[in-house]
Amino acid sequence: MLCRVCRRLPAPAVTLPSFLVMAVFTQLTRMRPWRWFICRKQFLSSFGRHGSIRRNMASDRAASQATRFDFLVIGGGSGGLAGARRASELGAATAVIESHKLGGTCVNVGCVPKKVMWNAAVHAEYLHDHSDYGFDTGNVRFSWETLKAKRDAYVSHLNRIYRNNLDKAKIQTIQGHARFTNDPEPTVEVDGRKYTAPHILIATGGLPSVLSDAEIPGANLGITSDGFFELETLPKRTVIVGAGYIAVEMAGILSTLGSKTSLIIRQTGVLRNFDSLISANCTKELQNTGIDLWKNSQVKSVCKSEKGLEVTIVTKDPEKKNDEEKTSTIQEVDCLLWAIGRQPNISGLNIGAMGVDTDERGHIIVDEFQNTSRPGIYAVGDVCGKALLTPVAIAAGRKLAHRLFEGKKDSKLDYSCIPTVVFSHPPIGTVGLTEEEAIKSRGKENVKIYKTSFTPMYHAITSRKSQCIMKLVCVGKEEKVVGLHMQGLGCDEMLQGFSVAIKMGATKADFDKTIAIHPTSSEEFVTMR
Amino acid sequence: HNFSFFLSFFLFLGGKYDYDLVVIGGGSGGLACSKEAAQFGQKVAVLDYVDPTVKGKIKIWGLGGTCVNVGCIPKKLIHQAALFGTALKDAKKYGWQISEPVCHDWATMMEGVQNHVRSLNWGHRVQLQDKKVKYLNFKGSLVDEHTVKGLTKAGKETILTAKNIVIVTGGRPKYPTNIPGAVEHGITSDDMFWLKKSPGKTLVVGASYVALECAGFLTGIGLDTTVMVRSIALRGFDQQMAGLVTDYMETYGTKFAWKCVPKRVDKLSSGALQVTWTDTQTGGEHQDTYDSVLWAVGRAPETKALGLDKLGVKLNQETGKIVLATDESTSVPNIYALGDIGEGRPELTPTAIKAGKLLARRLAGQSAELMNYDNVPTTVFTPLEYGCVGLSEEEAEKRHGKDNIEVYHAFYKPLEFTVAERDASQCYIKVVCKRFGDQTILGLHFTGPNAGEVMQGFAMGFQCGATYSHLSQTVGIHPTCAEEVVKVNITKHSGLDATVTGC
Repeated sequence: MLCRVCRRLPAPAVTLPSFLVMAVFTQLTRMRPWRWFICRKQFLSSFGRHGSIRRNMASDRAASQATRFDFLVIGGGSGGLAGARRASELGAATAVIESHKLGGTCVNVGCVPKKVMWNAAVHAEYLHDHSDYGFDTGNVRFSWETLKAKRDAYVSHLNRIYRNNLDKAKIQTIQGHARFTNDPEPTVEVDGRKYTAPHILIATGGLPSVLSDAEIPGANLGITSDGFFELETLPKRTVIVGAGYIAVEMAGILSTLGSKTSLIIRQTGVLRNFDSLISANCTKELQNTGIDLWKNSQVKSVCKSEKGLEVTIVTKDPEKKNDEEKTSTIQEVDCLLWAIGRQPNISGLNIGAMGVDTDERGHIIVDEFQNTSRPGIYAVGDVCGKALLTPVAIAAGRKLAHRLFEGKKDSKLDYSCIPTVVFSHPPIGTVGLTEEEAIKSRGKENVKIYKTSFTPMYHAITSRKSQCIMKLVCVGKEEKVVGLHMQGLGCDEMLQGFSVAIKMGATKADFDKTIAIHPTSSEEFVTMR
Repeated sequence: HNFSFFLSFFLFLGGKYDYDLVVIGGGSGGLACSKEAAQFGQKVAVLDYVDPTVKGKIKIWGLGGTCVNVGCIPKKLIHQAALFGTALKDAKKYGWQISEPVCHDWATMMEGVQNHVRSLNWGHRVQLQDKKVKYLNFKGSLVDEHTVKGLTKAGKETILTAKNIVIVTGGRPKYPTNIPGAVEHGITSDDMFWLKKSPGKTLVVGASYVALECAGFLTGIGLDTTVMVRSIALRGFDQQMAGLVTDYMETYGTKFAWKCVPKRVDKLSSGALQVTWTDTQTGGEHQDTYDSVLWAVGRAPETKALGLDKLGVKLNQETGKIVLATDESTSVPNIYALGDIGEGRPELTPTAIKAGKLLARRLAGQSAELMNYDNVPTTVFTPLEYGCVGLSEEEAEKRHGKDNIEVYHAFYKPLEFTVAERDASQCYIKVVCKRFGDQTILGLHFTGPNAGEVMQGFAMGFQCGATYSHLSQTVGIHPTCAEEVVKVNITKHSGLDATVTGC
């Protein structure tokens, strides 16, 4: 797919021919599953008509008058921007289409503002410990408003940096919603103008999933993580629904900052796809830090009263078959937050018409090289539904750029051993296989587990305590480390280096050979027995 | 002495000693070595004894040696307290309204620190008991290659015989020898960690990591602190990184008297200490008064009382440390040494522990594995922490030639600094690689928050022989400081701006 001609094109997009047809793309920021289902049916039907449309409507004139680039990126988030910038560095004339703010989920409603909030919550924890370390802080008050203003200012600052980066790289930024047209050559329309390129990257990311009022009456009285970042004040009483990492992080932040928080989970533990040790420990830590955890529970309905929301919850322990369902209500809730998953952001894109295959949840199906089922169209990041992480999208975008514009045929991202941190309290770090996965793939007799737990030295002189737990999952005679899992103070910063070593194929003996750094928590990994 | 000689000779003939192993010194290395030996069924005794500090402020401390009592542990806890000094300022930016002024109470902090140290002392005692290691609060010295004399505080002598003897008595801070008033009026880090009262306005003399760490935490808890540096800071460390560490300290509020040497210390009638020093660049003489003067001018082993010369144990004449072979053996059979007392050995707890364990295994005939003193990572807990493993850029240049190394580097901004509006000019990463071939990493350097926690895993990658592409092939963890290490992509050769922008 290497386009040598394109590589020789002058990079500045301004020298390119101008625009033609008009159309509108509506990006649904709150797409309900049922609506999505209808959209999907439309995609399918339009896909069926695809051939005839191509014959009847696509005149050569229309296509030739679309603005032409070497590389057209739909979505100015982590993956799209990284791919665009790398492509541009490699000489490709590149444009990025973004309907909202540059930076995507990560910068605007994800990693960055989330970590700022987490940092603020860590200060709340520190404030408990200050007196133990000799600082007399007296009474302290927290101003959510101050924090939000500074956070928003920082996010805007990043938006500007991204814009500058694009400008510096001579990448054209096209503001608006993209929609694939029915031209024979893959083409998109933004605000009635057409753009085309031999290589089009879909990096439109994802959105928080929501429930409809039909599914749960009053569901739309709640917000999602997107709404969390719009909260102007600290809610007094919060109910969070979900057991994934977003639910865990939001619950931790709100509770630590002083909101009375309940977490509603369907089963008995959070983070159920993590290693069982982490899942169990995180569930315990949530409760230790004062979060009101509702196990085996689901929200039945939500209604609005003068004093706030009333959230009605049904609880039933499946283990106790004879028990009746218990119905309870949490009153005076001022923030109900759905954190029940994320879905791909593809509505209005008209990808069905392009013959781009999606899975049953709408994620764009790509091969290991990020190719979709339609030649010349690629996808990276959350829209593909695999490893929903900023650095993954960035790496995949860059690898793709190298493949398309530098002729590196084998350039692709290795999706194994991707390290992840959950900014819970305390944070979780995990890379590689869980114990359960290792046993399943290698057999119990070939799996050896090393574990440790301790109180970090930080807590040696504090009355508030938290544990640090660590686990190594090793397989085979050589005890190759295939998984590393931990929760405790500092685990967020510990993981990266170990993930390099694990990716290199480190064995337990390599861990043992490494000299410790004293006194740290991470040294426990190299002194485990 | 004759008696003991005959006794040991007799025991030797009979193939029997009181112990398989006698360890002199109950610090990190000694405890690890003795417990490991006991694990393999050896009969072991540990002799531990602490002389009071010169200043006499600290009479004695418990089992665990420098690390536990006057080193790593109290140091890191006080460093943590100092970080809170910054955290309090940051907290305001994060929306907390805290009434001013916030005062720090030294006594409260030290009570917590000392309680923790005592619990560790106790923990070590219990562990020795559990592992059936005999603990003796004796000051040990050598009689012959199988005999140790133990002296109690009251002056009672005990003779112990052993098949093997390990000397792990560590080192103590030095005082300068030619500065009037230095010993009478100054203190060392040994005193610092047990002071009941805040040291107040302090002059720290020296620029070793001990000096900078002490000056850093004193500044952090709000004390007026000056560091007096004769030549360079953090000798032996990468000097670009050392510069960043001291630059940060200067913006943090630590004062530096560069290229200055103290001349004398006088106690004024007010009780204040008047220090006179010479600026070696101008030749000018200066004076100021301090509440405390902390000498951090190096550490030295205490070998005199061990009776090493009598047995002919070879010492390095300059440092006074014991000359060791790769298997930790001294020039005298059956006598071994490890830890800070060993010539050329890193003065670090984890290396002493590991060397001690490996020696115990070899002596018990369990393994032949030698300690590998290469690839030792370390972290300096200055206000801006500095972690590193492998070669400094200077050393890499020296060994491989300037044109044969490639330095990837990045100035990054920790996310926690942004809202807090802190200057991140010194947050820096440097990966020194071979320039050609697979770009094997020669040295890795990191300044920033949590450097110790960041560095350990990379040290392991380094141990495994990581190359630049191993770093760049690893997916980052966002948003962390550690991810900046795998993201480095600007080389020094390129001359491009190494400032990280965006995610």
